[in-house]
Amino acid sequence: MNTEELRANMLPVLLSGARRESGEELLMLGSDREHSLLRALSLTGQSLRFTRRPVPSEFAVEHWPRDERRIVPDRLRRPILRLLDRSTEDAARALALVFDRQKLRPHPFDLPMLDGFVHRHADRLGATAQFWVQRQTPSQQLRGYFEADELTPKNWTESSLRPRVKFLKELRKQDAGSARKLLEQCWAGESPDNRVQLLSTLQTGLSAEDRQFLESIQKDRAPRVRAIVHKQLALLSGEAGDNAALTACMERIQRSKTGLLKKRAALKLELPANVKEHETNRWIQEQFAEMNIAQLAHACEMLDRELVEAAEKDENLLFALALMSSREKRIDLLDAITNELPEAWGRMSELSWDDDLERDREEADAWAAALVKPKKWLPPVPFPAWSWLHRQMEGHLPTTIMRDVLGSKAWKEQLEPEKKGGSEFVQVICALCPRELRGMVRAQLEPLEADRKDKGWMLLDILDELENVR
Amino acid sequence: MAGISLEKIEELAPDQASLIAARKLVKPGGWSGLSSDRAGLIWGECQGSGSSPYRVIVSEADADYKCTCPSRKFPCKHSLALMWMRAEGKVAFEAAGTPEWVQDWLRRRRTSSGASAESEKDDASRAKSLAGAVVEEPDEVDPKAVARAAAARDRARREREDAIVAGLDDLDTWLVDQAEAGLAGFAGHAGKSCRSIAQRLVDAKAPGLASRVDALPNRIYGLPESARPMAAVEQLGQLHLIAEAYRRHESLSADLRADVRREVGWTQSREALLSEEGTVTVSGSWRVAGTVSEVQPDRLRRLETWLWREDPGEGPRIAALVDYVPVVAGQTKGAYRTGEQMQATLLFYRSARPLRALVREVISPAEERDSEIALGDRDLLKAYSEYEEAMATIPWLNVSPLSFADTRLRRNGERLFLCPAENDELALPLISSQAEAASPLLAIERFSGFGLWDGYTCRLCLAQTPLGRWVGE
Repeated sequence: MNTEELRANMLPVLLSGARRESGEELLMLGSDREHSLLRALSLTGQSLRFTRRPVPSEFAVEHWPRDERRIVPDRLRRPILRLLDRSTEDAARALALVFDRQKLRPHPFDLPMLDGFVHRHADRLGATAQFWVQRQTPSQQLRGYFEADELTPKNWTESSLRPRVKFLKELRKQDAGSARKLLEQCWAGESPDNRVQLLSTLQTGLSAEDRQFLESIQKDRAPRVRAIVHKQLALLSGEAGDNAALTACMERIQRSKTGLLKKRAALKLELPANVKEHETNRWIQEQFAEMNIAQLAHACEMLDRELVEAAEKDENLLFALALMSSREKRIDLLDAITNELPEAWGRMSELSWDDDLERDREEADAWAAALVKPKKWLPPVPFPAWSWLHRQMEGHLPTTIMRDVLGSKAWKEQLEPEKKGGSEFVQVICALCPRELRGMVRAQLEPLEADRKDKGWMLLDILDELENVR
Repeated sequence: MAGISLEKIEELAPDQASLIAARKLVKPGGWSGLSSDRAGLIWGECQGSGSSPYRVIVSEADADYKCTCPSRKFPCKHSLALMWMRAEGKVAFEAAGTPEWVQDWLRRRRTSSGASAESEKDDASRAKSLAGAVVEEPDEVDPKAVARAAAARDRARREREDAIVAGLDDLDTWLVDQAEAGLAGFAGHAGKSCRSIAQRLVDAKAPGLASRVDALPNRIYGLPESARPMAAVEQLGQLHLIAEAYRRHESLSADLRADVRREVGWTQSREALLSEEGTVTVSGSWRVAGTVSEVQPDRLRRLETWLWREDPGEGPRIAALVDYVPVVAGQTKGAYRTGEQMQATLLFYRSARPLRALVREVISPAEERDSEIALGDRDLLKAYSEYEEAMATIPWLNVSPLSFADTRLRRNGERLFLCPAENDELALPLISSQAEAASPLLAIERFSGFGLWDGYTCRLCLAQTPLGRWVGE
């Protein structure tokens, strides 16, 4: 009996059970039934083991993208894995930003271990990382893997959101009409999240030519989109009479005169009685969302500078003005406001900023310089505000501001040896620290317990190394 | 310092917290008696929270360690800190003779992954002094007592042989019952059924076979449902082969006899192996081609280190070092890391295809190497043919190493397969737990590698690719 005959005869008996079969086949292996059964078992089993497993009839065709970015140097792979093991999101974001700036990508073999990091920051980590994130996405929802500077009006819809927003914003600066037309063409096929982000690019170079498009999407299904449309239309209208939100606000702003010798105008924002203290910031953000400073100043019959001076005794109105000037990139006004209200950014950080504006490096630096006044902080700004600042800055703070931060009381308190707590604060400060001040931060961290400083220190070392990759 | 680097310490550390804790101890102030024997052994005493200082020893050759602290982390922060100080080289270790507590550890150290030359010397000197004692003090030896002890050992051995044969008879009865009932549905009740016969085999003093039976349900459940009935036939068939081979072991070659006895559960001590004549000893440059850390049903963790000999020449090219540690001890990794290289002499357990080995002597300790391991140019088909040859030699072969070149990874549904780069003549499924970690290899057109094939799935331990080394943990 050859092996094929053995399998053909014995396998059915063994699988269905010898007691259900006649057992005649077993007689081929001897007269003793039990012994024959055991022989059949071992011989058939062994014959199966020598049968090679069938090869699947087809294999998936892999479409890994071409990735022009350089792979992170081998010597940094392990430190990065260690850093990202239980680091804060700030450290992870700082790392992703430098990957993006240096046009680096993670080693493909590390992607499974960096899965969470790659999912959160794929847009900054190159084509392979984006492919990794999308590898289980149905093909009809797949996006392409283009860097922002590789996008053209022909391929821009195929990329992921962040490069598309960046591309559209750049195009708005050069040719606002073309950018709007591109947006109009793809509008119907975009998800609500995409629509929110893409629509916010119209803010750049917003003009009367955009009105028709904005009016056509006033009844969008997504409330967040509708809110942005209304805001942009309000900005375009420029008339107080057209703006119901402004009228409502004006009803809550009390005007008076102050000063003994020289009378000055004073403004006070009356909050509704049912707005609780913890809801104040949110209420102000919502009420002042659909107007601009020029409209408000016009309604108050003042210049915008005078508006700030008149509101100096009212923290809530100052905060409203801080939100508006930050949104409108009125850095001069913001600077004046935070002189009176240094904790404005702490209050801002408590709000969600779905429709925040893209800022280039120069704008971000000026915005941070106007907003962050380390020498005036009292009480110290809590950790979430720092994390928010890093998110908004998408990078480090300007050197002059960071130097003040490193000398501030708030930071010095964190460095006290008896201070207990985790390393979150250290990590976010390291993430915000520009290259030229890293030595200073290291020296400040030196006396701290290892478990408080290790992650921050590690982050600084890795950032130094990554920035030196040529 | 050769042998222990900061990277290795990082890998040995059970978690980040241990490293942080160890870092706090990397100060000579907290230590006393930091010493070295200049032959790869360092030790010191660290003042901890207990009343007496913890005694810490580290063997640099194989990163083995011992600390008297009660920590359940392995290595503990004290061991890591001692390694750290050594690796940094900033702290002086005084040259000294080994104190009694260090010698005690050396004597007790039970490691297949390498006793240092010191412990060999130690064994030798101990043997010498015992021999001397016999010569110098003959009146202390009671020949009757010696004879009684030998007879007792002989009797125990015979009793165990009888017990095993009785156990094997019960195993056969159980196998007949399973075959009578039909193996199509065996997977449905394998857990309970295998547990009972495994228990019987433990009682019959056949622990090796008991472990194999105990592991069988998991092995079958790990396969696609359609493959389980055939796997049951194969696996139960092998159990009968082992039982038959054991009953007839006197008619087998000495090598195969050793294989079947080991499979059933007879063990051989390190000392017995060292003194056995005719064992295969191979010296050379060994690279770590793979490591495996797996928890067994008996709550022991099996730590395997697979070594590949780079020098051509006579003797086995592949060696497996196997250690067992209790799961409760918390140790999850062995002392070696994939890619490391060491010069050593290995002593192989007797076998028709020698694989499992002990380190007899470390000539130069394991060190990290970035270079590729010279795994040869046999393709996957050739490697698989060698597996089939091995199976023909040892029919109950369980896991076999495969080293291959010109291979790629391919995907069918959720499963990944190792295939020859040039054709579709063979497709070895990867273990499902590696599907995520190995998927970046799908982008690689061709690589060489090392894996462990168990007849159903391959555990990929190493892939050497144009993008560098991929390591399966």
